[in-house]
Amino acid sequence: MNRDKLIRELRAVVGDEYVLVEKEDVIVYEQDGSIMQAMPEIVVLPGSAEEVAAVVRAAKQANVPIVPRGSGTGLAGGAVPAEGGVVISLARMNRILELDLRNRLAVVEPGVINQDVTKAVAADGFFYAPDPSSQAACSIGGNIANNSGGPHTLAYGVTTNHVLGVEVVLDDGRVVWLGGQVPDCAGYDLCGAFVGSEGTVGIVTKAVLHLMRSRESVRTLLAIFDRMDAATQTVVDITAAGIVPAALEMMDRLTIEAVETGAPVGYPRDADAVLLVELEGVREFTERGAREVHEICMHHGARQVRVAQDDAERLRLWKGRKGAFGALGTLAPNYYVQDGVVPRSRLPEIMRQIATISARYHLRIANVFHAGDGNLHPNILFDMRTPGELDKVIAAGEDILRACVAVGGSITGEHGIGLEKKAYIGLLFSDADLNAMAKVRKAFDPDGRFNPAKMFPTPITCAEMRRAPAKIPAGLWI
Amino acid sequence: MRDLTIDADRLARELGGMLGAAVQRDPASLRAHAVDGLVPQIRCAPKDTDELCAILRVCDASGAAVIPWGGGTAMHWGNPPSRADVVISLEQFNRLVEHDDANLTATVQAGMRVAALQELLGGRHQCLAIDPPDPQHSTIGGTAAANINGPRRMAYGGVRDLVIGMKMVLASGEPIKAGGKVVKNVAGYDMCKLFVGSLGTLGIITEVTFKMTPLPETAGTVVARGSLAQTASLIEALFGSVLTPAAVTVVDGRVAAAAGLQPAEASVAVWAEGFTETVARHVRDVQAMAGQSGMTTEVVHDIGHRRLWETVRDFGAVGAPPVVFRLTVPPADVMPVLAVVCRLSDGGALRYVAHAGTGTVWLAFDTPAPVTAWFPRLAALAQEYHGHAVLAAAPPEVKRTVDVWGPSPQALGLMQELKRQFDPHGTLNPGRFVAGI
Ligand SMILES: Cc1cc2nc3c(=O)[nH]c(=O)nc-3n(C[C@H](O)[C@H](O)[C@H](O)COP(=O)(O)OP(=O)(O)OC[C@H]3O[C@@H](n4cnc5c(N)ncnc54)[C@H](O)[C@@H]3O)c2cc1C
Ligand SMILES: Cc1cc2nc3c(=O)[nH]c(=O)nc-3n(C[C@H](O)[C@H](O)[C@H](O)COP(=O)(O)OP(=O)(O)OC[C@H]3O[C@@H](n4cnc5c(N)ncnc54)[C@H](O)[C@@H]3O)c2cc1C
Repeated sequence: MNRDKLIRELRAVVGDEYVLVEKEDVIVYEQDGSIMQAMPEIVVLPGSAEEVAAVVRAAKQANVPIVPRGSGTGLAGGAVPAEGGVVISLARMNRILELDLRNRLAVVEPGVINQDVTKAVAADGFFYAPDPSSQAACSIGGNIANNSGGPHTLAYGVTTNHVLGVEVVLDDGRVVWLGGQVPDCAGYDLCGAFVGSEGTVGIVTKAVLHLMRSRESVRTLLAIFDRMDAATQTVVDITAAGIVPAALEMMDRLTIEAVETGAPVGYPRDADAVLLVELEGVREFTERGAREVHEICMHHGARQVRVAQDDAERLRLWKGRKGAFGALGTLAPNYYVQDGVVPRSRLPEIMRQIATISARYHLRIANVFHAGDGNLHPNILFDMRTPGELDKVIAAGEDILRACVAVGGSITGEHGIGLEKKAYIGLLFSDADLNAMAKVRKAFDPDGRFNPAKMFPTPITCAEMRRAPAKIPAGLWI
Repeated sequence: MRDLTIDADRLARELGGMLGAAVQRDPASLRAHAVDGLVPQIRCAPKDTDELCAILRVCDASGAAVIPWGGGTAMHWGNPPSRADVVISLEQFNRLVEHDDANLTATVQAGMRVAALQELLGGRHQCLAIDPPDPQHSTIGGTAAANINGPRRMAYGGVRDLVIGMKMVLASGEPIKAGGKVVKNVAGYDMCKLFVGSLGTLGIITEVTFKMTPLPETAGTVVARGSLAQTASLIEALFGSVLTPAAVTVVDGRVAAAAGLQPAEASVAVWAEGFTETVARHVRDVQAMAGQSGMTTEVVHDIGHRRLWETVRDFGAVGAPPVVFRLTVPPADVMPVLAVVCRLSDGGALRYVAHAGTGTVWLAFDTPAPVTAWFPRLAALAQEYHGHAVLAAAPPEVKRTVDVWGPSPQALGLMQELKRQFDPHGTLNPGRFVAGI
């Protein structure tokens, strides 16, 4: 490509100050929340859909890849420019364009930070349900690309259940709406197909989000177990009893140790598991539901069940859970988080298998996860400075993913495939299955210009990338 | 241009060689499988995926147009097909593959009848929270392909939200799968979304995995009667409250009477389910709100509750009225839209069922005459509210004069390209989808 010509064109579109090419400027875009790095060639920060479209056309003309980027908190290397080209950061497009509370809708630009949507409507009694633990930093565009979940998506659904329409820029610079302000728009559900496409088929420039009415009452319980098996069986039984909590989160012994070392909240260090259960709804529902959850916990021999009596206590119960990720640093210099999912009925079994894998590799694994939907987050602890250690960690991670698939699960519940897991997507899907996905890609992006080398198995593997621990901004948890 | 005439005798011999007696050509059976007046030449019912793949390979190669057939209850959906040669029935795909009740999921073959599935699930205190019309006949695959949603969508989500995995066979005869059996999964593109609502134009669905819902401890419905204006004010109060009903549906007097209720200008039915005390709270609060709107209420349980919601569920589908429209508008605009429609029809032969929580308005007319006058008017009305209108049922000769899906979507080019990618020869349900896809 003629790099200088492209840079001149991009500057003409967005203005000089929004085209970054010097190493000291682009280096902050070399990584996301994963361990993978690649130095960008050019970073552009457009301010409108029209500018995004013009940037896309210029990149097509120059025949270089395009990598969309939100806040760079992704954990699978999705925003890392593995094959160079133009990184398009949507960070400047961060306006909430319209709030229609009568119809429970918000129209936002992609760079809006997740948490800011709820902040904008909370006083009126509404919230935006998908709440990734990174919500203080991650963008709506990134959430849509990754179909992100969060602790409260158990009852309310993940991003795809709350996005009605997206305006996207296609590979030739056309701007089209997929979906709209109402569901069931005529034709194929292209909005549904777009959500979760990890930046490989187009760039979101606007989104119509579905807001929910705040619930009347919240009840939070924390149960302490002497045995992990009893805790996972409790999750199975709560689900089977038909009580759908808003959140159902779990921490294991190693995580408890980290929390009590790093930011103590009074968990007994000899406990094997802590279960956090939150119920939301009308008062009659949460009262009765909390009573039944309490009984199921006791039935499985919970050592103690704490019930929050007010908001302050509720926040205290959550404090340990929210502090767990940050506290892992007290146990080891580095940790590597996996994102496998299993049917909830298989939770007891998979936790035993993870313990076996941990022993086999002599690696400590701290589990802190969304138990209610079977979404595991095993954090493998290690020290990057020890030669060969990272490869061992990645091998152990692969074993965990294989174990998840073997019990009918998936290799990723919310973080996405990206660069990180594309070598494993074949564990789930046949060539024919992947070929069908490739047809979708081809219909949207015939040249494969958007985010090449992601999601689909291709020669570049995670092991060939430059790797370093990510710097996670403060205020995020996992 | 491909030659679009097929040699039905040769095709039947070829399929017969593979399937034996499962290939039917008797005229009565074929007539019973006419689609919008088009009578197919062959009907077959593969016994498994291998047979289905083989049939599709042969049809795709010979240029025969294939009509996938579930229960046949929603064959009136869509534009009349441009061709209909081979009906492929999924009647032999009728098993519950797995019900993982502790995971609240079930995997079901596409030809299974919805009622038969509900009965098996009910035995283990769960259900599928989708209420398609005529569940004795409608199938799981058809419900997914047509994306038919019932009144409880506002509480449990629609078909697209409840499907987590699928198996399908493409026009080329290649079997593929999508998603899985876990409730949270972002591995690869969400292919299920493309196939839900694709009306059999991208592939034939053979198996679907759904999220289940526990059967509620109890259920009940408050019905409030009054004027359209009173109904609107009650719904606004409900919407402003913290209540979480399963469905909020407005019906006209004739539908109310058919449901065994006292008729009024409008009746709004609020379905509450869950714990006994939760339902009691809803009944109490809704009655109070209705009283404030000056409406008369009645509470129905058991048989009365079932009859009401079955009437709502089957509206426009069972005992098919000649002309049915579906409008989808933002939820708060349901009552304004209904008011306009009622004014336009001026007490005429119009009946309606409107789901206030999800913005879906079903309108039925007893004569086919209104289509030419009403369809453009309804489409414009829906569009004014950022929604859309579909002609859900009409006699074939009427349907041939319009695109039942309304004006083409902005992304039509992408949709046509997807169709080309998945079904390059236009083998599956040709002509039925938007803009003749
Ligand atoms: C501490 C921590 C906790 C986390 N917790 C959760 C959690 O609870 N649940 C969860 O699901 N995830 C979680 N994540 C992962 C991450 O925050 C989410 O994936 C998030 O949605 C990424 O948003 P982002 O704006 O940072 O996107 P980026 O990382 O910038 O990009 C992510 C992907 O989206 C694409 N993309 C970004 N913007 C656009 C756009 N406008 N159009 C098209 N494609 C685009 C990129 O190309 C890339 O493939 C966590 C991450 C961290 C670091
Ligand atoms: C009494 C009552 C009256 C209501 N009246 C209105 C109203 O006037 N205006 C209004 O905007 N909403 C109205 N709603 C509906 C409301 O927006 C949603 O149905 C409800 O918030 C969905 O939340 P949920 O917790 O029930 O389920 P969720 O899990 O949030 O949603 C259920 C599913 O239904 C579909 N869905 C539901 N609502 C919408 C929507 N608004 N747009 C698109 N898809 C949707 C989605 O596909 C979603 O996946 C009303 C709700 C109640 C309780």
